[in-house]
Amino acid sequence: MKCPRCVQRIHRAAASCPHCGFSILDADARFGGEEVRLRCLTDSAGILRRGERRRVEAAMERVSRRFPQVFVAVYTGALGEVANLRQFGFWLLNRSAFEDVPVEKPNEAGILLTIDPESKAAGMVFGYLLDPFLDESDTFECLSRAHAYWLEGRYADGITRALSHLEGILAKRSRHARRDPEHFQRKIMPAAMMGDLVRRIRAGHRNSPVGDEVMEVAE
Amino acid sequence: MTAMRTILFLCLLGATARASFVEPGLPSWDDGELDVLEKAGWVAGGSLLTDEPLPETPEAKTEEPIDVAQPTADEIAETEIDANKIPEEFWPEYFEARPKSFLVDPQRLLGPVDQRDRLGFLNYHAGDSSIDLYVYVFKGDQEIPGELREEEIVERFFSEGRPAVVVYYFMGAPQRSMVYLSPSLTDAVSPAEQRRAVESSVMQAFKDVDPAKQIEAFLVQMSIRIYWMERMLGGGVEEEAAPVAAQAKVSAEKASRVGKYQPMIDVAKRFAVPSAAVAGVLLAMLAASAWLRSRGRYRFPDFEVEPRLGGAHGAGVGAVISFASAALPPASQRDQVPDYLRRA
Repeated sequence: MKCPRCVQRIHRAAASCPHCGFSILDADARFGGEEVRLRCLTDSAGILRRGERRRVEAAMERVSRRFPQVFVAVYTGALGEVANLRQFGFWLLNRSAFEDVPVEKPNEAGILLTIDPESKAAGMVFGYLLDPFLDESDTFECLSRAHAYWLEGRYADGITRALSHLEGILAKRSRHARRDPEHFQRKIMPAAMMGDLVRRIRAGHRNSPVGDEVMEVAE
Repeated sequence: MTAMRTILFLCLLGATARASFVEPGLPSWDDGELDVLEKAGWVAGGSLLTDEPLPETPEAKTEEPIDVAQPTADEIAETEIDANKIPEEFWPEYFEARPKSFLVDPQRLLGPVDQRDRLGFLNYHAGDSSIDLYVYVFKGDQEIPGELREEEIVERFFSEGRPAVVVYYFMGAPQRSMVYLSPSLTDAVSPAEQRRAVESSVMQAFKDVDPAKQIEAFLVQMSIRIYWMERMLGGGVEEEAAPVAAQAKVSAEKASRVGKYQPMIDVAKRFAVPSAAVAGVLLAMLAASAWLRSRGRYRFPDFEVEPRLGGAHGAGVGAVISFASAALPPASQRDQVPDYLRRA
């Protein structure tokens, strides 16, 4: 887990970045603290033609169909000089209300792809549901697949390509999670529990009633 | 007592030794016995023991010649003609219709392999040339029936359709080969050129002694000459003839090589349909599998995640990529830099 502003690693339950102090409040101060109503595909930059919109919507729909818990949103817009894409994505996922997403799919299950055609940059963020299953390198791989298309201004092709790759990654992670859920659970285990685990291991090594005592305390 | 025994033993030994030195007397013939033996007809060793000449064997009775009329000269000639005549059972296949195959060999004078190779070559020639080459195969000493006129047969059957060169080839005797051209070619190709074609083909054939190899060489050379004829028909220039001929020869050799792989081609043809069916089933299974996978539904375990940075829904900060320039490929952007270093 990294901070959207300083891209430094932060611990699992940090209320603000221990390195730069960033939190949602900083993003609110920059982009606004009120809820934003959006559709899943919002082409504010106007880079998609009608046919291309259909193709992109179909790709988004396919992801939602194959992964019933998940939805994909795409936002295109010129952010200007005041914003940067990583912070904006973080803010938008937390402050937007997607009108065309079923109620049973909260933003925690969202994957947001943001494209700024003016600064020629794109970013991808995801909600807490996918926190154990995706990481930065996965999203980087998806964006890399789209890079060549976006260079040529073929935004729709790039988006569908990125989503197609994302499907593959999600399918693989889902299968892995079905086989070995603990592997992913460990990734989001609270720091306190990790401390307990360490203590339990050390207690086991001592092989004494002290260990049992520690376990009781932990429980 | 012992001395007496010894004396007796010595006497016996002496008597025995004396008897062994006495030779047995020769048998004496009684005249009566000799008469009896002679009457029986044979005396053992008699011919050695007499100075009389050997008795002559009784002469066999000479058979008297049977009085049968000797064949006339005409009859002998007819017999020879019959032996060289093409059996009438094969006439229909040879002479009654335009052949359906470029190789006409109802007598099976070529072995199965040679027949297949030659036919393969002729088919290849037909595909490569606008003039077909038909070959009738006869035995080396066979004669085409006198009542049939070869030119007339060719004129009758080959006046329509693609122009053709018809060769009557005699196995083992290529010098007897006869070549006829379909009516559409006779005016265009001079008799001298036809003669040259036959001569050069015969010369090529005589480079080998094996009749099967001879016909192969003959047909290859004839194919080359036909290529020349074709060039003449099309107004081709003479000076290009040599390289073209060489090229044609290469093509002909290539066709001959194709014939070698004919068994493999036949096997491939035989198994083509089942193989295609199996491949089709496999492809269908793969397609069905891919379709099922594409329609598969994937779920994730729902773990409790503590919120971070005050974000209620998510703080899973992913990657950002720039596509401003092709000089900045994704690989160089893998290490994400802090935003404050990139933009204000």
